[in-house]
Amino acid sequence: MRLAYYPGCTLKTTAKSFDISTLESSKTLGIDLIEPERWNCCGTVHALSKDDVMHHLAPIRNLLRIEEMKKTGIVEESKVITVCAMCYNTLKRANLVFNSDSDKVKKINENMENESSVYNGSVQVEHLLETIKHQGWDNLRNKVKIPLKDLKVAPYYGCLLLRPRGLGIDNADKPSIMEDMIRALGAEPIDFAYKQKCCGSYHTVFMKERVADLSYKILNQAKIAGAEIIVTACPLCEFNLSHRQTEIIKNRSEFKEFPVIYFTQLIALALGLKEDSMVFGENKTDPRPLFKYKGFLKEI
Amino acid sequence: MSDFKSGYPEYMQESLKKVSETRSSRFGKEFTPMTAEQRIQILEKFHPDWKPQMKRGLKIGPSKGMLIPHEVADIIESHSMIKHDEIDLTKIDYDLDVLIIGGGGAGLSAGILAKESGIPADKILLVQKLRLGDANSKMAQGGIQAADTSIDNPAIHYLDVIGGGHYANKPDLVEALVKDAPDVIKWHESLGVMYDKNPDGTMLEIAGGGTSRNRMHSCKDYTGLELTRVVLDEFINKEIGYTEFTSAVELLMDDKEQVAGAVLYDLETKEYHIARSKSTILATGGFGRLHIQGFATTNHYGATGDGIVMAYRTGAILRDLDSTQYHPTGAAFPEQIVGQLATEKLRGRGAQPVNKYGELFVYHLEPRDIESSSYIRECYERDNGIVTPTGMKAVWLDTPMIEKVNGSGTIEREFAAMFRNFNRWGIDIRKEPMLVFPTLHYQNGGVEINANTETNIAGLLCAGEVCGGVHGKNRLMGNSQLEIYVFGRRAGRAAAKRASKTNLGELNLNHVKRYDKWLEEAGIITERKSPIILPEYRGEKTLSHQLKIM
Amino acid sequence: MSKNNNDFVTIYVMGKKQKVPADLTIMKAMEYAGHQFIRGSGCRGGFCGACATVYRMRGSYKLQGALACQKQVEEGMIIAQIPFSPSEKITYKLNEIKANANTFLEYFPEIARCLSCNTCTKACPQDIMVMDYVQAALRGDIKLAAKLSFDCLGCGLCAMRCPAEIVPYNIGQLARRLESKYIEGPTEQVLSRCEEIKEGKYDKEIESLKNADKETLIKLYNSREMKNE
Repeated sequence: MRLAYYPGCTLKTTAKSFDISTLESSKTLGIDLIEPERWNCCGTVHALSKDDVMHHLAPIRNLLRIEEMKKTGIVEESKVITVCAMCYNTLKRANLVFNSDSDKVKKINENMENESSVYNGSVQVEHLLETIKHQGWDNLRNKVKIPLKDLKVAPYYGCLLLRPRGLGIDNADKPSIMEDMIRALGAEPIDFAYKQKCCGSYHTVFMKERVADLSYKILNQAKIAGAEIIVTACPLCEFNLSHRQTEIIKNRSEFKEFPVIYFTQLIALALGLKEDSMVFGENKTDPRPLFKYKGFLKEI
Repeated sequence: MSDFKSGYPEYMQESLKKVSETRSSRFGKEFTPMTAEQRIQILEKFHPDWKPQMKRGLKIGPSKGMLIPHEVADIIESHSMIKHDEIDLTKIDYDLDVLIIGGGGAGLSAGILAKESGIPADKILLVQKLRLGDANSKMAQGGIQAADTSIDNPAIHYLDVIGGGHYANKPDLVEALVKDAPDVIKWHESLGVMYDKNPDGTMLEIAGGGTSRNRMHSCKDYTGLELTRVVLDEFINKEIGYTEFTSAVELLMDDKEQVAGAVLYDLETKEYHIARSKSTILATGGFGRLHIQGFATTNHYGATGDGIVMAYRTGAILRDLDSTQYHPTGAAFPEQIVGQLATEKLRGRGAQPVNKYGELFVYHLEPRDIESSSYIRECYERDNGIVTPTGMKAVWLDTPMIEKVNGSGTIEREFAAMFRNFNRWGIDIRKEPMLVFPTLHYQNGGVEINANTETNIAGLLCAGEVCGGVHGKNRLMGNSQLEIYVFGRRAGRAAAKRASKTNLGELNLNHVKRYDKWLEEAGIITERKSPIILPEYRGEKTLSHQLKIM
Repeated sequence: MSKNNNDFVTIYVMGKKQKVPADLTIMKAMEYAGHQFIRGSGCRGGFCGACATVYRMRGSYKLQGALACQKQVEEGMIIAQIPFSPSEKITYKLNEIKANANTFLEYFPEIARCLSCNTCTKACPQDIMVMDYVQAALRGDIKLAAKLSFDCLGCGLCAMRCPAEIVPYNIGQLARRLESKYIEGPTEQVLSRCEEIKEGKYDKEIESLKNADKETLIKLYNSREMKNE
């Protein structure tokens, strides 16, 4: 299955390992992800802009690129897959606005007059977790080579994956998609109180200590609930939960480093892919000692 | 193809059809190169340089008697723009170690090397009469020569240069040119120039007229643009002093007979400034905008030969100014771009010159003077040219052959500038040929220098097109971009070295007074003044009604 | 050759009405009308970007950009020259910086303000995909930024139109220098030839050519082997 893939800037800079693990896992699952030749910022950095039309130009322009890919037969469906919660939310929200406000559609099109075609609103925005879910959890389960037996995984959703309602990938009050994925991989999902709490998001730039506090609460709750590792589906959540551990350790001598990884890395591990498809070395908190202890990775 | 629209008028369609029909039969064919004898014959009969009535002997100065084009003699046999007694030499505006006049590739690289040789940034000043970097340097399209392949070496390069220059070149300068060449490319790469490469990472090197090896390094057909903007970026990174829209109008001397700076003129505020300097580098470029013999030119707006004028007033020796380069392939249609350059790289990649019947009539990679002469012969003696709507005669340059030889996509990839600049006027050079005719391109001669860029006048150094001797009587493609950086860098080093051991005496403009005397003694009575700084393109209607009120 | 009335068009040079021959470029038309350029004219051949010009056609709201030497006048053209684009070129030491996205954010933090509105691309007289190369730089795709920006003349029209006040051409310049210096790297054949020359490998041969008389040189030149492909 050939599908358009919108990686977003984070996966091209600070989170390259998520990009690689996404592509490799998907390939194994029979999903050929194709990056558009031209793409720009998903638009999330303009969220604070008051001019709402400007805010939607960037995402709509990306969706137009996807429509062009479909038209020229590069991909089979008018659909774009993304694995970044921020990109997912921004693209999907813009699509919603585009399809519900005809005045805005007109304005957006007027501002994109130099494009060779006009966006029709046909593109479906999908998170890779949804794509895998639609393939059926059995499909994923059948492809697992190394069942992650006895691994206790806390799924951390954060905010953007589930909210606002109607845009989220799952029930905002009682999500289960990550748990289902974890079970399909042979591991045990650990429910914990803070799995939908905010991680502090962009405050991490100017309010490190505040975000470190929030991260501590999340990590600590997961630990208390019995988790051995946290898995996220948003690169900013992953960044905050892992990088802020530096500050946490500085302030709390009793705190031990706690591994946080991306969901695509966990999938790649269970599918038995080579280590260079997971790139664990680039994670701030190295999960390899845990996986070696569990016997999922060979000792070198 | 049905919606294809020709960029040429109806009456040319028959000839265009012939060019297109003969393309397959010309594929892979080459016209036989001329013998040495044939070359001399065609030059004597058709090259503009060989028409004696277009030249005269210089009547004054150290190079008295040298035959040069009237247009050049006119600016040399002129009075100074300034009177020697109206300038206050006691108030020094800039007290420098190194003054650089001209902001093309030679001037910019001289500045960088002067700084790297230990001169503080605030003791260097570059003056440029246009924007920094706006110079012929930036307009070079085809490439830069350097012998760096396994089948090539600097000695082979040397022989190509000196044979192409009709053995009139100064050997020391040719040696410097060919031996520094690979180091110039190395320097460029260290600064971040994006040269075109083969898929295996080696240099993509192409042929040029009169070169016996593929030696042309290029950056698409924006070679000069890429080299100039990188060197310019580095120049600014070094925080070296510069001032734009300011021209030098006369050199200064001191009482020890040394050049000691220049009188600068701000083109916008019209005030003058005195720059005193221990070393002065002239990097003012050539004289294309003098439109020798009425030819259109490829040159930029400021190419008015200022440097040779100012140097000659101080007593510097000139050489080889009898020879001017006409680039064979100047655009001849449409009228709006007449004279603009169509790079030699087009022929290097397989484009063939053909006449109105679609026939080959000359080997496509003769040295430039031979190639130009044969286009003139084809148009004017044999009458096989195409007449443009404005009455010019021209020959076809069959660019679609490039894609036939190298595959489709080659033109957009390697000739982005040519493709764009003709496409703007409705001509798709992938599908239709260009109309071309020789255009005034390069000042082969100039101020005589040694390999350290020093002139016969102490304190005066020269680099780039303003100099003579490097190319003899004819320059090969890709050797001017090379010359700029070889001698620009040498000038920067030599100027720094000289500055560290020079003491200046009292400034004067006695040479300007002396020059007026030379003119008077030679019986030259004229109102002409030079350097002319910018060419005059305003309409007659405006000029004849101008009042000097403000 | 005299021209009849149809051969002329009316243009407005910075608001002033002028009748000029219809076949001229904007640059030549302004000179015809009596202007002498000090700024705003450079190579006169589409290679330097000194003659950035903006214009509107009468009856159209569209503000368009062009190079004055590369654009023919049209009836009703309202013209203003942009001879200078105010921007500070950030200085940096190429040897000490890294080829990644952070370098761009450090030197040009404003690129994070890019709205992807594409106005820069619309303004470019070279038809460069300006917004795409700014975006490529923002995500550290230096190769793409270098490739897309390569034909830039630095005329400044993109910078004058950008609502986020970005100066794209400075970003393209840095991308290209980083691409060549750190991603492509130096070329082996050039380095080794430089070494050979330094060691004096060709000195003897060149010395003998320098000392040869003209007859000898002519003979050598005319019999030299041509190895062009």
